[in-house]
Amino acid sequence: MKLIHRITLRLSLILLPILLVWAVVFYYTMVGEINDETDDSLEDYAEMLVRRTLTGGELPGQSDGSNNTYSIELLPDSVHHEQIMEFKDEQVYIPEKRETEPARVLKMTFSDGEGNTYLLTVSTPTFEREDLLLAVFWHLVALYAILVVTILAVTALVFNYSMRPLYKLLEWLDNYHPGNGVDDLPTDSQTAEFKKLTESARSTIERAEKYFERQKQFIGNASHELQTPLAVLGTRIEWMIDNTQLTEEQFAELTKMRQSLHRLSRLNRTLLLISKIENAQFNEKDDVDFVELIRREAEVYEEIYGYKEIECRVELPERFVVTMDESLATTMVTNLVKNAFLHTAEGGSIIISIKDGELYVANSGDEALDATRLFDRFYTGGKSGSTGLGLALVKSIAGYYNYALKYSYNNGKHCFEVRFKG
Amino acid sequence: MKLLIIEDDNSLREIMQRALQGEGYVVETASCYFDACDKIAGYSYDCIMLDIMLPDGNGLQLLEEIKKSGKEERVIIISARDSLDDKITGLDLGADDYLAKPFYMAELSARIKSVMRRGSGSVQNSMSTGNITIDLGSRRASVAGKDVPLLKKEFDILLYFMQRPGHIVDKAVLAEAVWGDHIDMVDNFQFVYAQIKNLRKKLTEAGADTNIKAVYGFGYKFTDNEE
Repeated sequence: MKLIHRITLRLSLILLPILLVWAVVFYYTMVGEINDETDDSLEDYAEMLVRRTLTGGELPGQSDGSNNTYSIELLPDSVHHEQIMEFKDEQVYIPEKRETEPARVLKMTFSDGEGNTYLLTVSTPTFEREDLLLAVFWHLVALYAILVVTILAVTALVFNYSMRPLYKLLEWLDNYHPGNGVDDLPTDSQTAEFKKLTESARSTIERAEKYFERQKQFIGNASHELQTPLAVLGTRIEWMIDNTQLTEEQFAELTKMRQSLHRLSRLNRTLLLISKIENAQFNEKDDVDFVELIRREAEVYEEIYGYKEIECRVELPERFVVTMDESLATTMVTNLVKNAFLHTAEGGSIIISIKDGELYVANSGDEALDATRLFDRFYTGGKSGSTGLGLALVKSIAGYYNYALKYSYNNGKHCFEVRFKG
Repeated sequence: MKLLIIEDDNSLREIMQRALQGEGYVVETASCYFDACDKIAGYSYDCIMLDIMLPDGNGLQLLEEIKKSGKEERVIIISARDSLDDKITGLDLGADDYLAKPFYMAELSARIKSVMRRGSGSVQNSMSTGNITIDLGSRRASVAGKDVPLLKKEFDILLYFMQRPGHIVDKAVLAEAVWGDHIDMVDNFQFVYAQIKNLRKKLTEAGADTNIKAVYGFGYKFTDNEE
């Protein structure tokens, strides 16, 4: 879920109840206000009636179009009367309309100078008030909806605008690949947090880049430094074999030592080669004819692995020329073809073909290999005797030229594919 | 024949010296740029083995000095860096050969012989052991003056043996020298045996007085029959 969606969702989850409470409170306050207004006008009306009664003025007629009704009642003298003034909601018969309507009623007592006490009852129908409240209610609902939508929309807009530096930074991070150097990082943001984030991202990446560089150098340097001691060991073993009287046992031991040393030397040389490729130290551009190269390699391996009686089929066009460093092209083809011969069981089959700008090397095998680790250095898939560097080397070369390298397994065949156009 | 080994690693220098002395050369050594300059200025040598990574200077610079001073020394560069650039620079500067570490002593010895032969001024580009002679230019072999037709691999194998008479040759090393990197991880050397068998047969049929002796579990030894 995108951050903007999450924030909008959360905002609406919080805004909905808050605005709802606000709407309810607002509604009831309005109702209170309107009741107050009604009561005030009832009181004014009553006061007017009292004043007119006491001054002997003319009382308004019952039907003045206001739907207000009143009655003045002389209370018996015998009883002592409390001063009362009370508002009530009641059903009142309105003679003009000839029906009973809900109404607000004010009952109050007043006395004239002669000691008579009157009870005044004034009422005003409340259907207008109901209409008013209904209107208020619907307006409130509309306002509520508009408010929520507007707040969310504005938040989304402002958020998107403010977060642009973040999206730029994310894009920049996405485009970063270790070892390919660092592009310019967008730094136009004035926001403190984004500035800090950008700075942190930059320093982290630069550090990663430095470690990567150091790692590369380390492998290269370590391999270089190993060459001399390897030479010493090899030369000394050779000297012993050539110049001293050895028993058969000693000779066998020395032979095994020399074979191990030989493997170690090859391993070291391969590491050096990988390190050189990763340091981009191959800049030769040769037109390499892969058809010729593949025919030559396949022939050599057919001879070397002749005892396995592998059926090797080569389906190639007249020519297939790729511009790349010749030694790297050879290394790539050699390793792919060697890999196929090495890992095919006796009596198996190999197909090497070039079609639509792609090189396929397929060999028969029992089960699919772990495609995620196949091209890792020192991954041997549990096979002993293999350095686990051959395919890593192929991958390094493919990576160097931006060729797509793919492994797939179908119909009992391991298939390695190199697509030359990056 | 006087050789100079310029190499900063003590152990390697010492064993190289011992091995080459064993082959009958007079060997002197230098362990640094400064030492080497001294020796080269004061004496003359037939062949110099030059490590281009020295603690106090670049071997390539030393090579330039040697060539500038108009000396006749042959130079074989020995480098831990198996880099094409170094190789090209070195050969451009006038080095006669380039050998990457780690190397086999037999290989170095063969390279020294080859360089010295070129340097001896004789145009003849051939080698012989016993009654076998091979011509490196036309890649032909003959036994007692009679041509023996050899296939490419057979010739390469014979050449490799002839450069190392009397040495025990590891079959894996031989295979690598002839078949190149291709034999990496090979554990069945049937293809080498097949080639050797054919070569042996051809040489014997032609009446060669040499012998390719199998050293069980290890490889071969190429000798004169008289030895």
